[in-house]
This record gives sequence, C-alpha cells and structure tokens, in this order.
Amino acid sequence: MSTADSEQVSEYEGETFEAQLEALVGRPIGASGGVARAPDPVNQPMIRHWAAAFEDHNPVYVDAEFAAQTRFGGIVAPPLMLQTWTMATPVITGIRERGGSPVESDGSGPLTLLDEAGFVGTLASNSEFEIERYLRPGDVISSSTVVESISAEKQTRIGRGHFLTWLTTYVDDGGKVVGTQRFRIFKFKPGTAA
Amino acid sequence: MTRTATIRWDEISVGDALPPMIIDVTATVIVAGALATRDFMPVHHDRSYANAQGAPDIFMNILSDTAYCSRFITDWAGPEAMIRKLAIRLGAPMFPGSTLTYTGEVTAKSIVDEAAHDGSIDIELRATNDLGEHVSGTATIGLRW
Repeated sequence: MSTADSEQVSEYEGETFEAQLEALVGRPIGASGGVARAPDPVNQPMIRHWAAAFEDHNPVYVDAEFAAQTRFGGIVAPPLMLQTWTMATPVITGIRERGGSPVESDGSGPLTLLDEAGFVGTLASNSEFEIERYLRPGDVISSSTVVESISAEKQTRIGRGHFLTWLTTYVDDGGKVVGTQRFRIFKFKPGTAA
Repeated sequence: MTRTATIRWDEISVGDALPPMIIDVTATVIVAGALATRDFMPVHHDRSYANAQGAPDIFMNILSDTAYCSRFITDWAGPEAMIRKLAIRLGAPMFPGSTLTYTGEVTAKSIVDEAAHDGSIDIELRATNDLGEHVSGTATIGLRW
C-alpha cells in the first residue's frame, strides 16, 4: 500500500468517526435512554450537607420556621442543587478504571465513542440553568438528556478533543418541567496540550 | 453570616456592584463541594488521578462553581431572591491553595408582573484566582417590590 493510500484510509476513518459523532446529535445520552430518576426525593439531609459544604447560610434551605414566613412558605432546596438530585449513585470500585465514570457505561453513546477513540480526559466548560420552580423536600425528580451538538476536533491549551453539549430537562413526578440545563464538556486526549 | 432581609427590586439600580465574595480554596473545600454535589469524578478528589490527566492537582468541579455563584448572589440579594437563570463558562482551573474572588454587577432591570410587584434583574459575574478568570457568567434573578 502506498503512502498516499494510507493517508486516504486514515482520512476516511477520520470522516467516519466525525460522522459517527454527528449521528448522535439529538439522541439520548447516558444509561436508560438518557432518563435518570433521582435515587432519593429532595430531602433535608442532602440540602444541609450541600449548604455546609458551600457555607451557604441562606435560611430558606435549613430553617423551617424562617422559611415558613417567606414567599416560599417552607423549606426549599438550593436551586443549583437541581443537577445533584439525579446524579447516579456511584459504584466506587473501579471508578478509576472507568475513566471517572460513576457507573458502568451501557457501551453506547458519544462518551463511549470518544473514550474508545482515546479522548478519555473530561473537563466541564459550560453550565447554563433555567429554573422554572424551586424544589421542596419530597419532590421526586427525573431528568432526560439529549445530545445537542458535538464539535469537530479542536486543539485547546488542555489538549486535542471534542466539545460535547447536552441538554437536560428536569421534571417532577407530575411530569412538569422544573428546570433545564445546557452542559458542555471537553473530551480530550491527555498529553496533547498545545 | 445569615442574611435574613431581601433587597427590594426597586432598591436596585443598573450598575450596582455586588459585594465581593472571597473563598479560600483548599483541597478540603474542593472535595467537600464535589461530594456534596454527588460528583465522584476522581479529578476532584484524587491528586494522582488528576496528575495522570495532565493537571498539577485536583480541581474544583463545575457543580461547585454554580453553587458558589448562587451563594454569591443570595448572600447579597437575600433569601427570597429567586434565581431564574444562571449561565457560566469555565476558564482557568481552580486548584487548591489560592483564593477565589467573586465580583459582579447589575446589568439590567425589568418588570415581570406589575400587579404582583414581581421584577427581575440581570447580573454579570466572574470569579478570579491566581491563574486568571476561573468563572464568568450571567444570572437573572427574581425580586419583588
């Protein structure tokens, strides 16, 4: 095989990879068809843990008596905890070998495709929330996530990789939207920093 | 400090600066934030793993960044301020051993519902550390008058 042919082959493979990525736009991301149900209802212990970690002393998160006198009429969860409720319960054993993924991947989707192509590094770059309503203890939240876009391969100061953007819609147990989130990560090959 | 009073919408003017918030970021701060947001990615708690990814140390997760942004806003505006939108972009990473300074200002005001005395304000904010701008973003919050 001539050099020109080899180049052609690798170019063709490159196109195929980009096309494979492109085909995932609009498709669900994550296990269970992109749908995640919070393992626990919105609850005071997790809110208290969160408020303590960030030293956020907003009394509407933890002080029932105070919260009852406010526009909320009772305790509410910190609005930016929205993403936390549906985070997967992690399987700690093997998390390192799974490239930091908290649970075993179902072997499909853009994350697997990128990981298998060597883009195993992950760095979050954007997070955009729209909050429709504040959550209260007892709310059970589910999320559904679809791939919004995948960039062509880019060189950044961190390395070479692809920006992957997904859109998550969070609903309560009545199916009403409580918030949405656009999240962008950079999947890169470690050791390719510019 | 617990802030119990909420700023009224009509007390705010475009151009008002939010009081800066300074976080002394240690490894404990980063790990506490990662776990409280249920983010178990090893880059946020395991230094050798972070090193293998090309980072000199563990670094703050983005869920902590959005958490601190919301605290920065409500520490100023008060407990009944409602965060309706928050959009952030990450720049320089946040490693342990530096301070993170949040600054922000009001960029717009609008009436949402005149009869309900419900207004909204837009804020531009950023957080800087020893490496530069770690976070930049915008927020929209709801306040009454």
